[in-house]
Amino acid sequence: MNYELTASQREITASFAAYCRAAILPQADILDTADPGEAARLMRENLRKLALAGYFSCLLAPDMISRCTAGEELAKSCGATFLAAMSSGISFGTPVFIFGSDAQREKYLPALAAGNLVGCLAYTEEGAGSDLGGIITQASRQDNGWFLSGAKNLVTNAPLADVFLILAWTGKEAGLEGGLTFFLLDRDTAGLTIGPAVSTLGLRGAPVAGINLSGCLLPDEAILGGQIGRGYEQLLQALTHVRLAIATLSVGLGVAAMEESTSYAKTKRAFGKPIGIFEGVGAKLAHMFTLNDLGRLMTFKAAWATEQNDPEKAVLAAAAKIFTSEAAREIAHLAMQVHGGHGYLKGGLVERIYRDARFAELAFGTSEMLRGEIAKASLDPFSEG
Amino acid sequence: MYQEYFSPEHHLLRDSVRKFVLREIKPWIDRWEEEEIFPRELYYRAAEAGFLGLGYPEEYGGTPADIFMGIVYAEELLKAGSAGLVAGLGSLSIGMPPVLKMGSEEQKNKFLVPVLKGQKISALGITEPNTGSDVANIKTRALREGNYYRINGAKTFITSGCRADFLTTAVRTGGEGFQGISLLLIESSTPGYSVTKKIKKMGWHASDTAEISFVDCLVPAENLIGGEGNGFYGIMLNFQRERLSLAIMAHGLAQLALEEALEYAKKREAFGRPLVGFQVLRHKLADMATKVEVAREFNYRVAARMEAGLDAVREVSMAKNFACEVCDEVVSAAVQIHGGYGYAREYLVERLYRDSRILSIGGGTTEIMKEIIGKLMI
Repeated sequence: MNYELTASQREITASFAAYCRAAILPQADILDTADPGEAARLMRENLRKLALAGYFSCLLAPDMISRCTAGEELAKSCGATFLAAMSSGISFGTPVFIFGSDAQREKYLPALAAGNLVGCLAYTEEGAGSDLGGIITQASRQDNGWFLSGAKNLVTNAPLADVFLILAWTGKEAGLEGGLTFFLLDRDTAGLTIGPAVSTLGLRGAPVAGINLSGCLLPDEAILGGQIGRGYEQLLQALTHVRLAIATLSVGLGVAAMEESTSYAKTKRAFGKPIGIFEGVGAKLAHMFTLNDLGRLMTFKAAWATEQNDPEKAVLAAAAKIFTSEAAREIAHLAMQVHGGHGYLKGGLVERIYRDARFAELAFGTSEMLRGEIAKASLDPFSEG
Repeated sequence: MYQEYFSPEHHLLRDSVRKFVLREIKPWIDRWEEEEIFPRELYYRAAEAGFLGLGYPEEYGGTPADIFMGIVYAEELLKAGSAGLVAGLGSLSIGMPPVLKMGSEEQKNKFLVPVLKGQKISALGITEPNTGSDVANIKTRALREGNYYRINGAKTFITSGCRADFLTTAVRTGGEGFQGISLLLIESSTPGYSVTKKIKKMGWHASDTAEISFVDCLVPAENLIGGEGNGFYGIMLNFQRERLSLAIMAHGLAQLALEEALEYAKKREAFGRPLVGFQVLRHKLADMATKVEVAREFNYRVAARMEAGLDAVREVSMAKNFACEVCDEVVSAAVQIHGGYGYAREYLVERLYRDSRILSIGGGTTEIMKEIIGKLMI
């Protein structure tokens, strides 16, 4: 076993880290406090800059470890930008890359990599979060294509996206496996309306909104990979990638909170000495380091398994997401404690990370749902993973 | 032998605070949170309803009451769903006790009486930009010049400080260390007194928090509370009640989060049944309820100790740590039960999640509490 990154992975990470500190980090606080319209505009600019820096090409490349190391650097600089980039490059980009037809890949991926196109994934609904059986959005067969009606909510990137990957029933009687289909819907499609931005606890620079679909007419070519009834299976595969990305986000936020706390503990003085000298503070820093290191190792392992198409990849990604998201919350909590009252103030990194980190335990499978999935896989001796 | 902490009088008060909250606060609280301020006249309304004077002697316009009356008031006020409002409206509870316990008759008439009427706003100023937990190290300087003190320095994290009419301020009248600290009432109209910043915070949005600077403020010497060098004692006296209040606030917020989560889990359906139909969810709710119950009962016990005049420094430190950590855990679990919706501003648990976090920092961090407990053990 060799834990060393390759020379090219190290190089990509180092140069991208420097880029993020210079170009993305200064935007983080501005994005956090911007109103939704302004946030959408600024985020589009950020995504374009990231594309020029090669980030989306990295997300679409087969090297999963670079995706993690580069992603961690981006998340360290700005969690919201990570999320918006993830929604476009992974939540949308990965299923199009894996399952899309040649024409669909040609239409969307080069533009996405160049930063000229922003995508998003829309599957959650008012009555359907973890339970996809509650989906209402329906695609009905017409002579000249499909008629899409329904609504999606909590769609990250909806306010700025050019294209939406939408999960809808094409045959409810067939059930989840067989009845759901992904459609690619361009923003200018008649019948699509974007709702007002939802105000959130954290990652506020990544705009979230609901969308409404009232009779959008789509051609057969809009079906992802032309595969009717394969939506559930496609979503599950995509979710492994998305959960890995959320684990990466959590590690990045955890590392940023740790680094900020360590430097604060060196400079802030109380009772005549730097607070890091106090054992209670030192122990907190040590715990943050341990959680981050373990979380990163789990994420790398799950990324490696995904790259190898190991049958355990989904379980490993779920475990990495559970651990890193809970660790990020704990680290953010400790970081605020190290900072005392100053940590509670707006404009500080720790206050923002405390809010941002809480997202990861909720999105793309709550920890409860993921534990359920892992338990199911563990209990079923005939499981293929 | 079983004994209740609450009598029929306490229940009457609970009822009347509940009505006050529904009438005067609930309809507007979301707006006040959004605007990061509540109307000044709420002080007057709360005074008129008899709440601000709870626990103060009649001769200053108060209503004598035991500690559990204060608890009832705080618990019910919290039902409005904003810890910031409770803290802002309650800033007198940290600003005024030194005046009541150590102040002169003139000071009580001049400062305490209008505060209990809701006409004046009182705040407490201890923390400085570079001094939080290390209270004995404060730098704000008070130099005696005839009948005045000349004040130079700065205070921060002052709850209600943006519009306080006067600040019960910790100043250094003597040399280094805690013996050199005194408490001084500084009116905000004093030339040289300025609010340099309204601090933006993660939570407690309905309360204003200020950074205040003093540049050559001349304050009458008669505004000194107690004698020179008695400040540290006054501050410590205050801390016990403040810590109990924060512990009470923690179990109150946690209770509210638990109720919200339970309601949601009963209504929200997934996989063909309500969330409460899942064992993992029921057990999470059971853990939350257990922790809140234990925190609350211990808080009551500590309050009873304090009411009986027994020493409770160790116990109140434990109560604060326990209840505030329970609160953080419970609000987090409540967000978790709400799933993605718990992350959205329109759900109350999102605010409770932000509001809870300061409780284990303010009034002495968890770590400082542990220092106190630990030192008393060895």
